[in-house]
Amino acid sequence: MLKIENLHASVAGKEILKGINLEIGAGEVHAIMGPNGSGKSTLSNVIAGRDGYKVTAGSVTYNGKDLLAMEPEERAWEGVFLAFQYPVEIPGVNNTYMLKAGVNAKRKHQGEQELDAIDFMQLVKEKAKLVELNESFLSRGVNEGFSGGEKKRNEIFQMAVLEPSLALLDETDSGLDIDALRIVANGVNKLRREDRSIVMVTHYQRLLDYIEPDFVHVLADGQILKSGDKSLALELESRGYDWVKEEAAA
Amino acid sequence: MSDLTLNIASLPGNVGVQAQRSQAADICARTGLPGKRDEDWKYTDISRLTATLGDAWWLTAPTAINSDATSLATIDDLDAYRLVFIAGQFQPEQSNLPDGVQLRPLSELLQNDTDDSAHCLFKLDESAPLFNGLLAANSALASDGLCACIGDGIKLDKPLYAVHVGNSTAHTLNGLMLGKGAEATLIEHFIGTDSDQAGLSNIATYLRLGDNAALTHYRLQLESDKQFHVGRVEVKQARDSRYTLHAVELGGSLSRADIVVNLAEPGASCALNGLFVASGRQHIDHHTRIDHNAPHCCSRENYRTVLDGRAHAVFNGKIVVAEGAVKTDSAQSNGNLLLSKHAEIDTKPELEIYNDDVKCAHGVTVGQLDKNQLFYLKSRGLSEDEARQLLTVAFADEILVAMDIKAVRSFIEKEAFSKLPNLGDLEGVLG
Ligand SMILES: Nc1ncnc2c1ncn2[C@@H]1O[C@H](COP(=O)(O)OP(=O)(O)O)[C@@H](O)[C@H]1O
Ligand SMILES: [Mg+2]
Repeated sequence: MLKIENLHASVAGKEILKGINLEIGAGEVHAIMGPNGSGKSTLSNVIAGRDGYKVTAGSVTYNGKDLLAMEPEERAWEGVFLAFQYPVEIPGVNNTYMLKAGVNAKRKHQGEQELDAIDFMQLVKEKAKLVELNESFLSRGVNEGFSGGEKKRNEIFQMAVLEPSLALLDETDSGLDIDALRIVANGVNKLRREDRSIVMVTHYQRLLDYIEPDFVHVLADGQILKSGDKSLALELESRGYDWVKEEAAA
Repeated sequence: MSDLTLNIASLPGNVGVQAQRSQAADICARTGLPGKRDEDWKYTDISRLTATLGDAWWLTAPTAINSDATSLATIDDLDAYRLVFIAGQFQPEQSNLPDGVQLRPLSELLQNDTDDSAHCLFKLDESAPLFNGLLAANSALASDGLCACIGDGIKLDKPLYAVHVGNSTAHTLNGLMLGKGAEATLIEHFIGTDSDQAGLSNIATYLRLGDNAALTHYRLQLESDKQFHVGRVEVKQARDSRYTLHAVELGGSLSRADIVVNLAEPGASCALNGLFVASGRQHIDHHTRIDHNAPHCCSRENYRTVLDGRAHAVFNGKIVVAEGAVKTDSAQSNGNLLLSKHAEIDTKPELEIYNDDVKCAHGVTVGQLDKNQLFYLKSRGLSEDEARQLLTVAFADEILVAMDIKAVRSFIEKEAFSKLPNLGDLEGVLG
């Protein structure tokens, strides 16, 4: 399980996360909601190990191991996966090749045998169906020329292939039309497992109509101001975020 | 310099060729090696040549090579006509030549006193673009090379694969003429042996394309790491002819190539693709010059360099559009990836346009690996080294995919990226 304690992080000298405390148990689905600029992506990125963030206090442990001391790829080998808010295009790097390298690096790390090309292709084709991703996308450059929705779908497809035990979905719902949202959400639901935790970061309640969270947290101004169950999301939908801030300030 | 004249007396060639040799020797003596004062050699210090090989740098070094080319890293799974040159000399027993086309080693032509067909190759034009003393030395001293004439309408069924082996000093002179509508592929592959010796490969290749002819030319420089390599490729294109160059620079200590293309008649087109992958203290320099001398000609130029360690690359792409060359369509792009903060690139597009009715685009980029892409790959479980390798290959991909012979392409891919072990030097750059 993931345990975040008193996490403070800053970007370019500016403090963004101001003492985050959060525990995510195996198999749980958490939604982190908050207004734009509240630090949701910062939190996801710090957990995944992106450069440029300075952790000034606190800790992040995963299954008892200190995540912050690991390189991003080591975190991936431990089962952490980040679906990017803005997936980057990597022309010239084949989507499937990248995934095969990723899967096999992880298997190697876990002392398992690496998959050969044929087994891997089979796996990949099977997983592509899950998010209704056309097979033609498999052999293209990573996100190269993909539309916004295709990129998000590709993220969930990668999640399906990499089989993480902790998936952080950063605004996977933004920029999707209703049909695409349904496809992506269906994919995520099919990937729910007892041993897989999912953290959905979003500022729309809409996603939660499709993927039902066990817990909902409100992140505002670098702090988790309130936690609750699914009904909190509905309340946020109708009342906005301000009342949470006021309540917290009181 | 005058010593050079002494060396030519023993060289093959009839009276006419000998006369051209001594003229060339005189020119070489007069012009000497290009220096830093020469604008075209501003970033390439050829004095390294004399420092290493001595004042008589043109002398053929003693050849310590008995190896046969089959034991070397040639492109094996290539179905081609092979011409093997060792230390500059043609090896008939290791070669197989096509039937039905005029193709002979220069050495053979020069043995025949009544054969004047080699004369034109030895003729120098001092006013030609990028002319220099090294080219004069080539004319004075060349004794072998590939000479071929592909007749009208002939499509060569397999590529010509010329393998030049040796860490020795060799002056090689090649000429390839394509008749009307003829089609061929020429692969020039320069490789060293594992000997420690340094020498100079001085290679001149003259190409003539007749009306509607098409030539694909691979120029693969993988000399051993002490070797000096200087080359000139001179192309003259008739109406509607098409020339494609894939120039790959991986080897050598100092390598310079002058690529000079004359789009002489309407509708001719050329595409120059270049890939440099250099590390250590390698120095690589390409000066390209494309003359649009007729209307409706098209030129495409795409060079990519990957530099690691203290490697230094120079790219100069000059395009001259003559007054009458209306409807010229020209595009040039040069991308540079610096994997180390000590690597250096000097790149310069030069456009000289003498009419208004032209389309000329050019662009240069210099950069490091993109850290967002690196993070993305690492977050998928790829190690730092793997991620860097992959992004580096992806950067070169545009040039690699343009190579239409799969065996060549995978050979270059393998050679290019096995030579970047020093991927750890990035730390400071990425910050
Ligand atoms: N690289 C950066 N440089 C400077 N400021 C940044 C950077 N990344 C994020 N920020 C700032 O940090 C704050 C939180 O950003 P972010 O975590 O992306 O918010 P959210 O995902 O909740 O919209 C914002 O004010 C944003 O401008
Ligand atoms: Mg965000």
